[in-house]
Formats: sequence, C-alpha cells, structure tokens
Amino acid sequence: MRSIVLLLLFVFVGHQAIAFPQEKIGKEELLVLPGEVGRAGGRLVVSLRGEPKTLNPLIAADARSREVIGVMQADLVHINRATQQTEPALAKSWKISPDGLSYTIVLRRGLKFSDGQPLDADDVLFTFRVYLDENVHAPQRDLLMVGGKPITVRKVDEHTVVFQLAKTYGVGERLFDGLAILPRHLLEKRYEEGKLGQIGSLATAADQWAGLGPFRLKEYVAGQRLVLERNPYYWKSDAQGGRLPYLDELVFLFVPNADAQVLKFQSGETDMISQVGAENFSVLSKQQHGYTMVDAGPGLEYNFLFFNLNDSIEKTSPDIQRKQKWFREVNFRQAVSAAVDREAIVRLVYQGRGAALWGLVAPGNRRWGNEKLPHPARSLDRARTLLKEAGFSWSNGPDGGSTLLDSDGKSVEFSILTSSTNADRAKMAALIQDDLKQLGMRVQVVPLESRSLLDRVTQSRDYDACIMGIASYDADANSDISVWLSSGGLHLWSPSQAHPATSWEAEIDRLIEEQMSARTFEQRKKLYDRAQEILAENQPMIFLASPNILAGAKNSIGNFHPAVLEPYVLWNVEQLYLKNGMENATR
Amino acid sequence: MRYLLRRLSHALFLLAGVSILAFLFTALAPGTYFDEMRLNPQIAPETVTALRAQYGFDKPLPVRYASWLRSVIHGEMGFSFAYNGPVAPLLLVRARNTLLLTITATLLAWGIALPLGVWSADRLGRLPDRLLSWATAGLLVIPDLAVALGLLVLAVRSGWFPTGGMASVDFETLSPFNKLRDLALHMILPVTALVLSSLPLLVRHVRAAVADVLNAPFLLAAVGHGIRKRTLLYRYALPAAANPLISLFGFSIGVLLSGSLLIEVVMSWPGLGPLLLEAVLARDLYVVVGGILGSTLFLVGGNLLADLLLYWADPRIRTESGAR
Amino acid sequence: MRVRRTFAKWLVVLGVLHGMVVCAGFFAPYDPVEQDRQSPYLPPMRLHLLDAHGHLHVRPFVYALRLRESSFDQFEEDTTEPHPVKFFLRGARYRLLGFLPLRMHFFGGENTRIYLLGTDAYGRDQFSRLLFGGQVSLFAGLLGAGVTLFIGWSIGAVAGYYGGWRDSLLMRVAELFLALPWLYLLFALRAFLPLAVSPLEAFFLITAVLGAVGWARPARLVRGVVLSAKERDFVRAARGFGASNGYLLRRHILPETSSVLLTQAAILIPQYVLAEMTLSFLGLGVPEPVPSWGNLLSGLQQYSVLVSYWWMYLPALAMVPFFLGYLGLASSFEERGAVYKIESRIWGM
Repeated sequence: MRSIVLLLLFVFVGHQAIAFPQEKIGKEELLVLPGEVGRAGGRLVVSLRGEPKTLNPLIAADARSREVIGVMQADLVHINRATQQTEPALAKSWKISPDGLSYTIVLRRGLKFSDGQPLDADDVLFTFRVYLDENVHAPQRDLLMVGGKPITVRKVDEHTVVFQLAKTYGVGERLFDGLAILPRHLLEKRYEEGKLGQIGSLATAADQWAGLGPFRLKEYVAGQRLVLERNPYYWKSDAQGGRLPYLDELVFLFVPNADAQVLKFQSGETDMISQVGAENFSVLSKQQHGYTMVDAGPGLEYNFLFFNLNDSIEKTSPDIQRKQKWFREVNFRQAVSAAVDREAIVRLVYQGRGAALWGLVAPGNRRWGNEKLPHPARSLDRARTLLKEAGFSWSNGPDGGSTLLDSDGKSVEFSILTSSTNADRAKMAALIQDDLKQLGMRVQVVPLESRSLLDRVTQSRDYDACIMGIASYDADANSDISVWLSSGGLHLWSPSQAHPATSWEAEIDRLIEEQMSARTFEQRKKLYDRAQEILAENQPMIFLASPNILAGAKNSIGNFHPAVLEPYVLWNVEQLYLKNGMENATR
Repeated sequence: MRYLLRRLSHALFLLAGVSILAFLFTALAPGTYFDEMRLNPQIAPETVTALRAQYGFDKPLPVRYASWLRSVIHGEMGFSFAYNGPVAPLLLVRARNTLLLTITATLLAWGIALPLGVWSADRLGRLPDRLLSWATAGLLVIPDLAVALGLLVLAVRSGWFPTGGMASVDFETLSPFNKLRDLALHMILPVTALVLSSLPLLVRHVRAAVADVLNAPFLLAAVGHGIRKRTLLYRYALPAAANPLISLFGFSIGVLLSGSLLIEVVMSWPGLGPLLLEAVLARDLYVVVGGILGSTLFLVGGNLLADLLLYWADPRIRTESGAR
Repeated sequence: MRVRRTFAKWLVVLGVLHGMVVCAGFFAPYDPVEQDRQSPYLPPMRLHLLDAHGHLHVRPFVYALRLRESSFDQFEEDTTEPHPVKFFLRGARYRLLGFLPLRMHFFGGENTRIYLLGTDAYGRDQFSRLLFGGQVSLFAGLLGAGVTLFIGWSIGAVAGYYGGWRDSLLMRVAELFLALPWLYLLFALRAFLPLAVSPLEAFFLITAVLGAVGWARPARLVRGVVLSAKERDFVRAARGFGASNGYLLRRHILPETSSVLLTQAAILIPQYVLAEMTLSFLGLGVPEPVPSWGNLLSGLQQYSVLVSYWWMYLPALAMVPFFLGYLGLASSFEERGAVYKIESRIWGM
C-alpha cells in the first residue's frame, strides 16, 4: 500500500520536474544526522602516507586514493562505521522483494553534485553501466557479480531504480557501500570515447570534477598536498538543520614516513592522526600538549602464520615437498599453534594494545565472532604430545639443545617469510622463531620486500611458511570470502584451487556458499560459526594477534570518534568541527 | 671540442646501455605492479590478468622496450601505472624540488668541508684534528635516517622549524617575501641533514689530500720564503691537492638527483625520493627507469665536468691530453 | 721513532678490541639470541661501588631494575639488594673460536642478569649482541672494503696509467656500474637464491655484493691521481731507465694513491656495516636472530627508539673506536711507508 502511495508521489513529482526548471523542484530531501551540533568554518589538516594516485573511483586501487575519494564521493547505501550497520545515504529507502532477488531503491530528491548539477536515476544507471562494463576494468565489477552474473539495473522513474540479482545474497544492501555514484554529465562523453580510465588525475581542474561527497577538489600541489573545499550542495544536515559539512577546507599533506607523520602531529602541524603504531602511540601519549590520544580497541586486522600446503605439483621443489609432509600433518600445525606465545606477541609487539587471536574473526568485529571457539593457553607440553602422536621424536644435540626429528629421522628445519616493510610482523616472526626453538624446530626468519613475498606466496609458491596480516574492509562476514573459499585468491596456504584439496576445505566452501545466500542473520551466523570451528580444528592459518586502532586529535576538534573500520578517523568528516574560540593555529 | 663531442656520444651509448639493463633488471625482479591487486579480495584474478594485458605485460621485453623508446621520443618517458599517466611530467616537477635541495646542500657542504679539512690537515695529529676524526667517524656510523629523525625531533621540541614538507598550508596566500622566508625555513632541516651525511666523506678527503702536499718541497720552500700561512694553505696547498677532490666534486654533481632520496622521504620533501621509493616497491617500472635515466644523466655530466676540470687544473695531465 | 710508537699503540688498541669480538662468547655474559621477555627495552644497569647506605663495596655491584610505579616504561633501581658482579662464572654454552665448547664467562650476575648496555625489544642483551655482531659485520665490512679497493685500484690505475681507449672504456663501465639499478638486481638475485640463507652464506653474499657494486667510485678517484702521478718527473725518469709498467705501477704509482685509498677505506668500512641494513631489507643480510651491527643500527631509525630508548645508541658509540682504530693504524702505516715515496726521500724527512 505504502509503496503505491510513494509511486504516485513520484509520478506526480516527475511530472512537475518536467513542468518547471530543475532548481525549482522544491525542497531537497536532506539527511538529518543526530549528534553533537558543531560550528561552521575552519580548516582541518591531516597527513596521508604518500600521494593518492587518482581521484577516479574507477581505477583507484590503493588505500590512499580510496581515502581521498571517500570524502569526495557518496554511495547509495552506507555502512555506518560506528554501528557497523547499513543506513540510508543517497538512497532515501530501499525495499527487498520477497524472493530476495530485487532491490528497489528510492533516491533522495533535489540532490546536486558538487558542481551544482542535479542527481537523478540516470546518473545511477550510468554509474552501474560503467562499473559493469568489461572494457573499463573497474575493480568494482567483481563485487557486482552475484552468482556469476552481473547485477542488472532498471530505471523506474526519475528517482527510483531496481537492482535485479541472479541469486539471493545475504547482505545485498551492503554491496552498495563505497560504490560512488558518478556524475554522468562529466563522464559520459569520455566513456563513449573509451577514455574513462585516463581522467581524474590529481592535476584535474577543479571545475572538471564533481562528486556527491562532503568535499570537492580545490587545489593539488604535486608531492605536497591536496586541498579540498566544502561542497555547498552536500545532502546532510545536523540536528538543527545546519547544512554539513562544518569545515570549510580539508587538507591532506603527503607525509611518506610514519614517524614523520607522528612528528608532524606532535608539532601541531596536522590536526588528527590515525593508524599509529603502538610504540609511537605511547610516545605521543606521554606528553599530550593540546591533543588527546584514543585507543579505539581491537580492529579488524588479523595476523597469522601459515604453511605452504599447495598441492605438490612439479613446480614445487623436492625440498619443499619433503617439508610439506610435516606441514600437512594436522598435529604439527596444532603443535605450532600451541607453542606460540600469543600473550608475548601482544605485549612485546603491540605494547599490550592488541588482542591475542585464535580465529579469523578479529575481536573488533562485534557480531560475527564465535564465542565458543577454544582459546587454549600456551602449552609446550601439549605441543610435544601432539608431535609425539604424529611420529616426531627428539635427539639431544651436543650444545644442550634438543632437535626435533620427523619419522624419517630428518631434523625439522624451515623458514618463515615476513614482509621487511612491516616491523610488527618481523617482530612476531622473531618471537615465534624463539618459541619453536623450544620445541626443537630450527626456524629461520626471512624478511622479503613485499612484492617479492607476494610473488613467492601467490605465484611461484616457493616457500615454507609465511606470516601475513589481512584487514577486513567490512565487519560483515562476506568481506573475507576469498580467504575462506578454496577458489579464493586469499586462501593463502593454497590459493585459487580448482577443486578443494581436502574434505574440510570442501566443507568450509559449502558452509560459506550457503551462508552467502541465507536470508537471516541467525542462519548465516550459525553456518559461519561452524566454518570458524573447522578452521580452528585444522589450523591452516595459525592466528596470532590483532592490533588496536590507535588515533589522536587536537582537543579543538569536535565530534572526533575514531572507528575500527576504515577510514578510521575521517568516516564522519562531515560532522567534524573546530570548537569555539580555538581557531586552528597554523605555524 | 672534439673531445667533448666524443664524450657526448659516449654518454648517449651509456644512456642506451643503462636503459636496456634497467629494463632487463626490472623484468627479472619478482612481482609486477598488478600483484598487489591480487590481495584485494574485491578484485578477481581475471581482472588483474586483463589489466596486465592492457598495459602490454604479456608482450616480450624487446617489444616493450621499443614502445618505451617511442614514448621517450614523444617526451613522455613511458607510462606510470600508479598515476595512470605519462612519467615525464611526474618526474620534472619533483626533480626541480630535489635539485633545489641538493644544490644548496652540496654548495654548503663543500663550503664547510674545504676550510674544515684544510684546518684539520694543518693541525694533523693534534687534539682538534683528533676530535674532528672522532666526530666524522661517529657521523659515519649513525644512519642518515636517524640523523634526519633527530633533526625533526629537534624541530618539534624547539618549535623553531617546521617538521618537514616544503611549504606551509597557507603558502599561496603569503606575500612574495614571506614565501621566500617560508621556503627557506622549510629547507633548513633537510639541507642540514644532507650536509651532515656528506660532510664526513668530504672532510676526510680534503684533509688527506692537503696533508699529502703539506710536506712537498715547494711548500717547504714557500714557508722558507715567509709567505703567510693562510695564503700558503689556500693559494698553494689546496690547488696542489685538488686532484682527488675534483673527482670527488664530480660525484657530488653526479648524485644531485639521487643522493637525497631517503632524507626526502623522512623530511616529507616533495622531491623524487618519495616518488621513486614508492615506485620501486610497487614496481611502477617506467617511473623507476625514468628516475634511473635522470640520475645517469647527472652522473655522466658530473664525471665529464670533473674530467674537464682535471685537465684544466693539472698542467701535467694537460700536456698529455694535448697529445690525444 | 714516533711513528713506530703510534703504530704499536694502534695495533694494541685494535688487538684488544678484536680480541673481545673474536672471543665474544667469553666476554659476553649471555647468549645473544636469548630472549628475556619480561624485560624488553631495559635501560643499562649502572655499576656501583657505593651502595644506598653509603657503604663501600670492594666488588662492583648492580641493582636490579623495576618499573616505576604507575609507569609503563620508566625504570628505577631496586636499592634493597645489591647484586655483586661475579667474574669467571658458568653461564650459557658457547663455542670459543667456533670449536671449543665452553660455559665460562668473563662476568655475570648470580641471581640477576646484568645488562651493561640495556636490552632490545625482545629483552636480549645488547652488550652480548654488540660483541657477537662484530664477528660478522667487522669481517664482512673489512673484506668487502678490501675487495672494493682492490678492484677499484686495479681498474683506476690501469685506466689512468695507460689512458686512451682503455681509460674511456673502463671509465664508461664504471659509470654504467654507478648508474645501474642495483636494488632491482638484488630483488632478482634474491628470487634465484635459496630461501633460507645461513649466517655464513650471508657473510659471503654481503662481501661479494658490496665488493662488486662499490668499486666504481674508488676507481675514478684513483684514476684521477694516477693521471697526474704518471707524468711526474721521477716516474718519467724511471720509465726512461727502462722500468717495466708493472714495476712503475707498484713502486711509484701505488704510493701516490695511498692517501686516497686509505681515506676511502675509512669511509667504506662503516658504510658497509650500514649497507648490511639495506641488504637485510631484501632478505640478503644476516638473518634474525643472529646479531650483526647492521641489525643493531637499524633500530635507530625509529622515532620511538630515538626519544624513548637512548641506550640503543650506545652500540653505535662503541663501534666508533673500531673504525678510528683502523684509520689510525692505516695512517701510521702510511707514514711508515712514506719512505717509499721518492720525493719525500729526496727532500722530505
């Protein structure tokens, strides 16, 4: 009934739109945000670890570009970084058909891009046509393939579009988060020329670029900074009806070194800082002059050790095949897990600002963790028992240490790869190396620069074991799907398999697939819990620890609420403001 | 003149050789720019393969080299995958900033090293000389990055200098005089770091070279003539000791583009450093090759200058080079 | 006479320093890889003779360190109980000179651990790591510098002495070597090498890589000096008397280049100790947890270390005497050798 009324309303409005010039459509349907009402004006300066590469969401592949694009563009449905739930954004409302296959999205009326051009359903249609076009190679395309088929989009009227899925999808509306709605009036010509990939460089003139986000392009100085200004047409307002964002300007300084970022914040040249390492956090916390440091608690990053379990095809060397006999032994992996001192990792690597980890779902994820997952304390005795059961034995060396031998009498020696650019994981490796020495395993830590490491793990598969970390981009279970599925590229211990190599991998595949199309949270959670249990039993990934999200801001910044999801401090940038009488001191 | 022409043709061959080898090395190094995408769970492997093909990564190396040469002729120097555009403009803007920094620092370093080295050679083996030896040895073992960080800490603690960067946020609104002042203020720390990192080497060479000639007969004779010590050291000893210093000066010119990369990263200086470091790690090949060619150009230029200076400064070599 | 005395003095200084490094197992109180996870980043312990009550002790002693109340990383001395330093006591096993299994250590504490230079992030004894680290780094640095200078001198001397096309060719090759993207070659090299590199292999790798990469600079410097030296009157005279090229290079040209070579050596050795840091980044350096001076120094590049843990700089300070020692030895060696310089013999001393 309600939808019919709505529909009639739209027909009526659509009619009006034809009758009058665009700007007289009537009231804009602004989104009113609850929360502290701030003060308009001022400039916020933050540092970025290097330059963003592009403003074009269609080619942005790096985190920095995405962070900048995040404040310049807007999506239909948005995941609230604080509550980790979806909420309406450009879409005023959405409705899911009873069969779960079609999503009807109603756009807010009267919205304008940052250059003043109106937004309508054609922009949405254009946006998804571009995302789904194979020749554009947009990274978003793969996300929009559900059940192996692209999502189809149909326009109902000026403000209503219907998305049709080939298969039910547990978290349909979460798909829309981060999918920027593009300005058709600026891009259509370039798209038809096939040159969409070449636009949106940072040197783009400010009037040649537009979005629906709170800020728009003002100035770019190569190698130094990107200056954004307030989007006067932004579609959110505060509780008192004041149009957001509060800030006049947002400046990204390019500071390529983490320590330099800390120093810049400490000297007051930047107003906020996020992704601070634990050691720098404690330095900053020691003397807080005019700023406050916040520990937002465990985030979604999970660090883990894994062994090379790739099928022994001819590519792998005989040496690795020999070692794989140990790695394939569940007892061996469980023994390693039992011997790892996770408490020491949290204390020495994260200075206590982190959480020990026994499963893939990091503690920062409030809804999806399996509470029944066992958290066994470190026990060398249990590790030894497990190894003994699997036929391992020990021999006493001349220097007083004992050496672990496998059933063929060969000593157990292997190497662990870590990325040499990540000091945290290198530290974990050094600790684990020492832990395993107590089991008689001789472990060597091999730091590799990250591309070389990736090449070894995903391409040549010439390695023994490796420590890596993954930060889920969303709290929903589906963000880790390519870790779970044996066909996934992040199924790191044996990526992109044609068929699951083991029965437990097949079982996980089944549970995860089923979970994807299940309709209710309870159903999905049950399946997901079971998958976590299977993973914990088989330990293909030995989970280590998860760092806390550490951030800080000047005391003059209002509404500063760091979240554990990216972008940690800029997620509510439209609500950030400078408190009264405390003008931003620039030195 | 003929000598100059010959050297220039050599330089061209060298550039071609360096570019070919740089291509070869970059192809041998494991991983490509697109590998990082494989770790992004939102991107399918097929997309990565398609992208690789789009940028010609499935073609053999000679074909890629040829197409790169074509783009060099067009003044583009190849294509940056990360920035999705031609390399030359990326490099040019940043090379300017780098040169501003390194030329200042090089002039300053030589300006300090020459008197310091002469002074130290004059007091060879005495306490001031020993202290200087300790100081330079100490500077040699502390990594450049630690020196740069230390200077930044000083900036934060004292509040006298900005902590890195090249300009204040409101640079555009400043008057021309204040712009200059702002730039100078931002340059002090990186220049200091660069000078400190190159000083030990220069001072040691100057000291050794001057000490070498101080015992030479013509100087002893000059002392006998009662020439003032100052004149003696700078007008007689230093030119006689110039030979190794000239080669060294050639190196100083040669590393103008490449010698400050790490310090630029720590000091957030918008030069080639941050760009190239990121490009190397991300395998943004053509940016790296462009950077290498740029610094090769300076290297060749610096060495050529050094050779010309050598002939000019040393009459003995000049007689021989005339015969060539 | 004076020359001979300074020569002997430097020899003794270097002998003592290297003795400590070579017999690191004996002089270091602990195993350099042993982690004391309860005491990460412990500041150095002070040696006392006077206790908190004003009593004088014959035997030096230390106080244990404990966290200051309501603090995370501020330590204070626990003055209730002095722990005397014991000499020649049993401790961790080691092999002296690589073969002699021993447990005797020069010093240590009985029921507390004594950290003279503090501990690192894992609670490992920095003093022990410094001594053991020297074993790899010093010798790799020395050997690397030796190889570099040998190649550099040979090429530079040939280019400068013979001149002409040889000079052009060799100097262009030197430029090529200076210009090449070594980092990428090392990436590639790493991919072809076996994954796990033992400390011994790492040692040879470091030496080889450094030696091969670094020769171009000294070569150019030497060439410049040789260019001028070969036109000197005494060289021309010797040539006139029919001296062979080899003889001239060895007896007349080499001494002329000695000060450039020595200065280069003084700079190269510490540089090569640091270069190992870069190689470790590529997985080509000395692997953790084996200590090396490069590893010790790489910690200094962090802001948090710089401002919070000043004692991490002590190892760097302790390395300076080594490098100065080489320099002193070399320059007094040069002074001794100066008699070979023809000009000095005729007019000089």
